Amino acid sequence: MASSPNPLLETLDSSELIICIGSGGVGKTTSSAALALLAALRGRKTLVLTIDPAKRLLQALGLHDDDLPANTPLEVFPRMTSALSHPEPGPFDLGTEKAGSLHAMMLDPEQGASLMVERLLPDKSVREEVLANRIYRALLPALSASPDLVALELIADLHRENNFDLIVLDTPPAHNTMDFLQAGQTFSNFINERVLKWFSRVPRKDSAHKRSIFRRGGSVAMSVLGRLFGAEILPDIAEFFYSFREVMPLMRERNEQTDALMRSDVTAFIAVTAPGATSLREAYHLRELLETEGLPFAGFVVNRVLQAPASLSDEETLQQLSEDLQGRLESTGVPTDQAENLAARVREGAKRLHFMDRADRTQVKELRKLAGDHAFCAVVPQMEHDIHVLDELRDLANQLVAGVTEAA
Amino acid sequence: MRNLLDRHILLVTGKGGVGKSTVALTLARRAARDGKKVLLIEFESVSRAGPLFGLDQAPAEATTVEPGLDLMGFDLLYSLHFFAVDQLKLKALVKMALRNDSVRGFFLAMPAIKSILFLYHLYRLEAAHGTEGDGRWDLIVCDMPTSGFVAGLYGVPAMVGQIFRIGPLAKTAEGMGKLLFDPLKTGVVLVTLPEEMPVVETIELRNALRQKHGIDTAAIVVNGVYPTLIESAEMTALSEAVGTGEAGDDNGVDGMLWAAQVLRGRSERAAQLLPQLRRAAGGRLIELPHLFKRHLPLSAIDELADVVDQSTRKR
Repeated sequence: MASSPNPLLETLDSSELIICIGSGGVGKTTSSAALALLAALRGRKTLVLTIDPAKRLLQALGLHDDDLPANTPLEVFPRMTSALSHPEPGPFDLGTEKAGSLHAMMLDPEQGASLMVERLLPDKSVREEVLANRIYRALLPALSASPDLVALELIADLHRENNFDLIVLDTPPAHNTMDFLQAGQTFSNFINERVLKWFSRVPRKDSAHKRSIFRRGGSVAMSVLGRLFGAEILPDIAEFFYSFREVMPLMRERNEQTDALMRSDVTAFIAVTAPGATSLREAYHLRELLETEGLPFAGFVVNRVLQAPASLSDEETLQQLSEDLQGRLESTGVPTDQAENLAARVREGAKRLHFMDRADRTQVKELRKLAGDHAFCAVVPQMEHDIHVLDELRDLANQLVAGVTEAA
Repeated sequence: MRNLLDRHILLVTGKGGVGKSTVALTLARRAARDGKKVLLIEFESVSRAGPLFGLDQAPAEATTVEPGLDLMGFDLLYSLHFFAVDQLKLKALVKMALRNDSVRGFFLAMPAIKSILFLYHLYRLEAAHGTEGDGRWDLIVCDMPTSGFVAGLYGVPAMVGQIFRIGPLAKTAEGMGKLLFDPLKTGVVLVTLPEEMPVVETIELRNALRQKHGIDTAAIVVNGVYPTLIESAEMTALSEAVGTGEAGDDNGVDGMLWAAQVLRGRSERAAQLLPQLRRAAGGRLIELPHLFKRHLPLSAIDELADVVDQSTRKR
C-alpha cells in the first residue's frame, strides 16, 4: 500500500490543527495523543491539548506528577526518546532520528478563563473592575464546567503564536460537539453592543459614569430582564457588561478569526467513535453537523472494534472447532466429560463474541460508506488493557494508520 | 436501607461510554413495572431511549411511551420559555421577547444556563409530586451528561443565590438547593464499567461529592460485568490442547483460544475490581451483566431490570 497515499497520514502531515470530536468514552483522548505522537515521529513539531486525561495516559507521556502546570506546553518528546524501545522507523513513523517534537498541554478552564479576561482587558483598572464584579465571580465556577470557549480561544491563540506545526485538540468531554463548535458565537451573543445597550439604560452605582450611560427609554428586553432578575441586581449586571465596552470589537474580531481557522483547509476534524448502535447514530449526527456547519471533515477513528479471528465467522464452524477442541483436550489427558463441558463453554463464549464481531463489521462497513471517498475510516482493535507506556502509544498510532487501508 | 427507587429524583451519571443511558432506562422501566408513574428525562440531544419506542427524538414535552413511563428530552429553548412564563406569568411578553434573536441568544448564552434551566425545570416538575392528575410523577429518572456536569449542578443553587441575593430568584435558588440536597428526595447514581480507570474515577467522584457537597451517592451501578465462563486453571489446559496437533495445521482452532482468553481476561478484571467497588458503594452496588450485544433492545433492558429487582430487594 506504500505507493497509494494514506489519507490519515496526509492529514497528519499537512494539517495545522486537528480537532478530535465525539462523545465521551470512545477513546478520544488516547486517539488524540497517538495521532500527535505519530505526527511528531513523522518530523513535525506537535502539541496535543487535552482536558483531564487518564493517569495512565499521562504516565505514558512521562507526566505523572500530580501538580503539573496547567495551560502550559510540557515537553514529551524528545525528552522521552529513551522510553521508546527502538529508534528505527516504524511502519508509518520515521523513527526517533528524524522526529520532530511533541508537547502536551492540560487545560484548566477556570485558570484559562482568568487568563482570557487578562488578555481581553489589558487595562489593569478595567480588569480589576471585572475580576471584582460579583456577577463575574459567581459565574467563574460555571466557566470551569463549560470549558468549550476557553479551549477554543486557547487553540486560536496557540495557532497564532505559531510555535507548533500541528496542534491536536481533544475536545472537552462534558458537552456536546455543537456547544463546542459554537462556543465563540455563543460568547458574542452574551457580550455584545446590543446587550450593552440594553443595560446602558440602567443607572450605574458609580455616579461618575452615570451620565455616560444613563438614558431614558425602555425595551422589551429590558422589561423582561428587569422583571425576571429584579431591579436591585441590574446595576451589577450593567457594570459587568460595561467593563467590556471597549474590547467588544476586539472580541468580535478574534471570534471571526477563530471561526475562519476552524473552516480553513489547514484544519481537519476527526470524529472518534466506537462500536454500538448509539455510537453509530452519533457518528451520523457528527458527520451531518460538520457538513451543515461547513467544517472540514477528515475521517473517522473507530476504536474498540472486536476484530475476532476469521475462523470464528459462523456458527457451523464454531461447532466443528469446538469438537476439534474437545478432541485435543482429551488427547492431552483431560477426561471426556470435562473436555466436552469446557469445549461447550468456550463455544458458547466464542458464539457470543462472534455476534458482537459481526455487528462491529457491519458497523465499520457502514462507517466506511459514510466516510465516502474523500475521508478515511481508521479501525482500531479493542485493547485488553490501558496504554501506560509510550511504546504502546506508538504501536497504537501505527495501528491507526494500518486500520485505514484494511478491507472492511 | 431505603429502596433506591422510592426517591423522587435519580440523577444517573458517570464517565462517558459506561452505559448511563442504559442504566437510566433500566431503572425507569423497573420502577414503572413496580407500578410507579415514571418520567425519564434525557439530557443529551441524541436520544438513546427514543428509538426503542419508535421515536426519533425525545420530545421536549413529557410524552407517554409505555404504560407508566413518560419520556422527555431536555430542550434548552423550551425550558427557557417554561422558566420565563413560570416566573413572569406573562406569556405574551415572554413570547415576544424570546422571538427576538438577540434576546434569545443572550439568554441561551449565559454561562451555566444549561445547568440552571435544567435544575429549574426539574424543580418545578418535582413540585407536583404527590398531587393528582397529569404531570405528576412518582419518580423522575435523569439520564445526565458526564459526572462533571452533575457535580456542577450541585453548585448551581449557591451560584444563583449569590447573584440574586434577594427576590423571587433567591427564593427559587433556596428551593432548588433544598430539593437537590435532600437525600430522601434526590439520589445520585454513579454508573461505571468493571475496568480500571472508570472504577478509580467513580470512587474519586463519590468521594468528591461527599467532601465538596456532602452528598452520599445513592447507588453505584457497575455495568457490563463479564460472567466467569472459564476458570483460570482451565486456561492452561486450553493453551496446551490448542498447542497440540501438527505444525502448520491451521484449521482455526486457535480462534477458540483467542475467545477463551478474551472472556477469561475480562471476567478476571471484573472480579478483581468488584470488591473495591462494593466497599465504596457500602452495600449499594448494583451489578449488571454484560449481555454481549452492541444494541440493547427493550427485551435486553427487561433482563437488566430483573437484576435490578434482585439487587434492590436483597437489602
